[in-house]
Amino acid sequence: MNTIVGRSRWTPLLFLAPFIVTFLLFTAYPLVQSVNLSMHQTYGPKTSTFVGSGNFTQLFSDPLFWKALGNTFLFALGSVFLQLPLSLGLALLLDRPSVRGRLLFRLIYFSPSLAGIVFVALLFGPIFEKNTGLLNVWLNSWIGFDLEFPWMERHVMTGLIVAGMWMYVGFNMVYFLAALQNVDRSIEEAALVDGAGPWQRFRHVTVPAIRPVAGFVVLLSIIGSFQLFELPFVLLNNTAGPDNRGLTVVMYLYQTGFEVGDLGYASAIGWSLAILLMILAVGLRLVLRRYED
Amino acid sequence: MATTVRAALSPGGWVIVLLAGLSTLFVMARADTSRSGLDMWVFARPHHEMYLPNVESWNANQDPDLNLYLLSLPALERRMSSGFLSDTPVADLIEADVRVASRAFTGPLKDVGFLDLTDRIRESGIDEEINPPSFTPWTSRGRIFGLPHDVHPVMLAYRADLVEAAGIDVTTIETWDDFIRAMSPLMADEDGDGRPDRYLLNVWETQIDTIEAFILQAGGSYFDEQERVAINSEINAKVIATITTWITGPGRIAVDAQEFTASGNRLKLEGFVVASIMPDWLGGVWKHDMSDLSGKIKLMPLPAWEPDGRRTTVWGGTMLGIARSTQDPEAAWEIAKHLYLSEDLALQLYESNGIISPIRRLWSRDFYDVPDDFFQGQAPGRMYIELAPSVPRRTSSPFNQIAKERVRDALTRLREYAEQEQLFTVEALLPEARSQLEAAHADIQLRVDRNMFLKAGAKGQR
Amino acid sequence: MEVSPTRRLWMALTYVLLAVTAILMLVPFAYLVCSAFKTNDDVFRSTFLPAGEGLLGADWSRLTLDNFRRLFTEMDFGRHMLNSVFLASVTSILATLASAMGGYALAKFSFAGRAFFTNFVLAALVIPAAVLIAPTYQLLYWMGLLDSYAGLILPGIAPAFGVYLFRQAMINSVPNEVLDAARIDGAGELRIFFGMVIPLVRPMLGAFLLITFLGTWNNFISPQVVLQSSEKFPLSVAISQLKGVYSQDYALQMAGTLVSIAPVLCLFLLLQKEFISGLTSGAVKG
Repeated sequence: MNTIVGRSRWTPLLFLAPFIVTFLLFTAYPLVQSVNLSMHQTYGPKTSTFVGSGNFTQLFSDPLFWKALGNTFLFALGSVFLQLPLSLGLALLLDRPSVRGRLLFRLIYFSPSLAGIVFVALLFGPIFEKNTGLLNVWLNSWIGFDLEFPWMERHVMTGLIVAGMWMYVGFNMVYFLAALQNVDRSIEEAALVDGAGPWQRFRHVTVPAIRPVAGFVVLLSIIGSFQLFELPFVLLNNTAGPDNRGLTVVMYLYQTGFEVGDLGYASAIGWSLAILLMILAVGLRLVLRRYED
Repeated sequence: MATTVRAALSPGGWVIVLLAGLSTLFVMARADTSRSGLDMWVFARPHHEMYLPNVESWNANQDPDLNLYLLSLPALERRMSSGFLSDTPVADLIEADVRVASRAFTGPLKDVGFLDLTDRIRESGIDEEINPPSFTPWTSRGRIFGLPHDVHPVMLAYRADLVEAAGIDVTTIETWDDFIRAMSPLMADEDGDGRPDRYLLNVWETQIDTIEAFILQAGGSYFDEQERVAINSEINAKVIATITTWITGPGRIAVDAQEFTASGNRLKLEGFVVASIMPDWLGGVWKHDMSDLSGKIKLMPLPAWEPDGRRTTVWGGTMLGIARSTQDPEAAWEIAKHLYLSEDLALQLYESNGIISPIRRLWSRDFYDVPDDFFQGQAPGRMYIELAPSVPRRTSSPFNQIAKERVRDALTRLREYAEQEQLFTVEALLPEARSQLEAAHADIQLRVDRNMFLKAGAKGQR
Repeated sequence: MEVSPTRRLWMALTYVLLAVTAILMLVPFAYLVCSAFKTNDDVFRSTFLPAGEGLLGADWSRLTLDNFRRLFTEMDFGRHMLNSVFLASVTSILATLASAMGGYALAKFSFAGRAFFTNFVLAALVIPAAVLIAPTYQLLYWMGLLDSYAGLILPGIAPAFGVYLFRQAMINSVPNEVLDAARIDGAGELRIFFGMVIPLVRPMLGAFLLITFLGTWNNFISPQVVLQSSEKFPLSVAISQLKGVYSQDYALQMAGTLVSIAPVLCLFLLLQKEFISGLTSGAVKG
């Protein structure tokens, strides 16, 4: 990568200034505050006791934290291994010039991103509910399925993964569509002439072309999954669902910080999550780099 | 140059720039209404509408002015918590419900974001005027932090049309056992689809508010009067074991027709559920959301857990608190009294929402005796007032919300256990109910123990 | 070219897959659209259209525009829509500009601390926003920005995600030779940036404008925390206000949701072409 030394060494810093200033003010400063908080036990605004690493020690033996982490992992797995392949599949189908109505399909798949998370709860309730929900009513009339089967109580994470899929599959599809623009048509045609089957073409032509974008999308997807909060929060009516089956790490952070007022413990949760994500992100980069060579 | 400028953005991009320019002009041209005086946050649209005329007359005649803001409950909760936790000013007066207000009670008493109103309330004799249980959710470690808005006694609302068509006489019902016995003919499967045509009661393991209401009725609670964790009591175990027999097994009588959901309301409209427990405010909700049920519903006191037991319970509640950060506590207190002790508002509150006033001297007013067509000509106000004195006390613990969720989890596991072991009697389920509640108790205790201010209960003031 | 039977089969299969997915995606929207035109009682009684004798077995006469009328007369939705347009357009323009500038600096200059800042941006991507709520609130209070639009717009001005995307786009689509040539000609740095760099990353600008516009449009948690005067509320907050404590006006909420989707739908249609080409330039490795 080639770069230029500007005439003044202040030029790049001036271009970076808006980012640096807002970052320092609205991210770095609160972050430093939260490091400080994570080493205190707090109740209310003025009273706190220094506990050092006490919050972290308690966190590691807190079964709810592990449960939240487990649920969050599950959602991330669902996103990476179910949702992204689906996005890629849709993108592959839509990328073929011979398919008609591509613009319309693309719009339909993307449309949930226009609606926003608040509305998912409003829209998904009537589908997954017992007794009157569409899913149960249809399943009941087709195969005599139990009308009272409680999807949103027993299979909270499944429900969340499905809802998340609905929300984001279109957005990720657009990333993949963008990546597929990098596929060199002439190589693909050459492969076709050489008699390569669809799978071989996919494996040897498409995959190498989209790998960088795929890595980026996987990273974004993992980061997004680990910060999952609003979706379950609105879908489960501001709770974590029965038996905390829908508790995510950020939700637990919110509960301890805002519902119980233990900002110290909440900050410890937040930092543990941030550190975990950094490790994951670095690990992912290493793995991808090995593939690239 | 002109072409490069245009080339910088696509037409769509220019549309956004244009929108930004135009809307900025509009927003800047719009006179920013600057307000002086005191601010008040309310979370219920009907309250906002009800208070507005009152506030206008106050602003015309008295100082300082009061500005009323309507925020949704989650918005109010987030703003209030943010303000309290970062020690920054919030509105001078805040209307809050049980769950939101208890957030303020986590720290030492001197740091509670609401002003301690205990002395003011005692000096003005308000503590004598108001039904005592109404103070309990706003009382932490013996100090009162809010003026009660309501009593919220609970009755049983039932489909009088169905019950009377089946020739059932509800006057013979005194306990929940009587209720099940008398009503069970309604559960028959006459359309032959393999499941009962309707269920008797709207309650489910996930309805944490309903479960708490049942436990309070039976004399149980999640926290005792010293705010110590009390989840593992025998009464609580008995209630959750009984509810388990209601929701599963051969003796099942309950169905999940949750309030405030489209599916729950649909089940009620379709007559799939016979009876629901109904606090005074819920009547107002039903009238608004399910006008088709008008004339089909009647109220009766709740069946008791034991003969001669309590025939009501409590569900929900709102207070008016004054923020500690207010510049003018005296004026805020005057406004609070003006709003909450007014007879006009008591009348409006009843007429528009069905809510009875907590002020005992107003209970004799005859607007509470007006027959209500929604309830087949019953006078719900009078019926609720008769039950008001026996409403149980409640906790103000900030951990109550989590406690409610843990008890729900205990109930879920108990139901699963019952189905697995095929045990469907209260006696057979009691040992497991006890051990599940014990686990929930231990979990909450762990959290409370982290809080040095609440674990010592009433003595924990530092 | 002769179309072989297998190829036809493949095409048919493709359309079936696409159509089934499309229907699944549209079911919730069908519910939304139907409910928005129903009365509250009918929302509970039927899932889609109210049952009746008319076309498609529906009672069309029971549908009503009343919800929309109430939104704009009683709930002042016109004003909230204006607020949303203002917040979303201004935030997205400022955020896009600041991200483009930051990305340009990181991609096209070498200076002390560049690696540091680049890693900084990457690290900032993983910070959970919820950790920052309470300290940020305190900060906004100290700065006197509570209940003001500035308090909402300023913290969103330079998202790390945007800086990162633009850095990638600059590396991919801005050749150094062009910049060198311009400098030799004596062009000023600002002129180079706005006159040459910006047009080169035009697709990324469109894509990022759309992403931030959508994000701001649908965000309701931070406006709920920062704003208190109802005349300043954007649509997202106004709609969440409809979910009352004593009443659940479902039909009204659905109508409000529909009203709020319509403008962003138009915007997406306008920008969808460069949305994809923009992401192409931003997502490639670097």
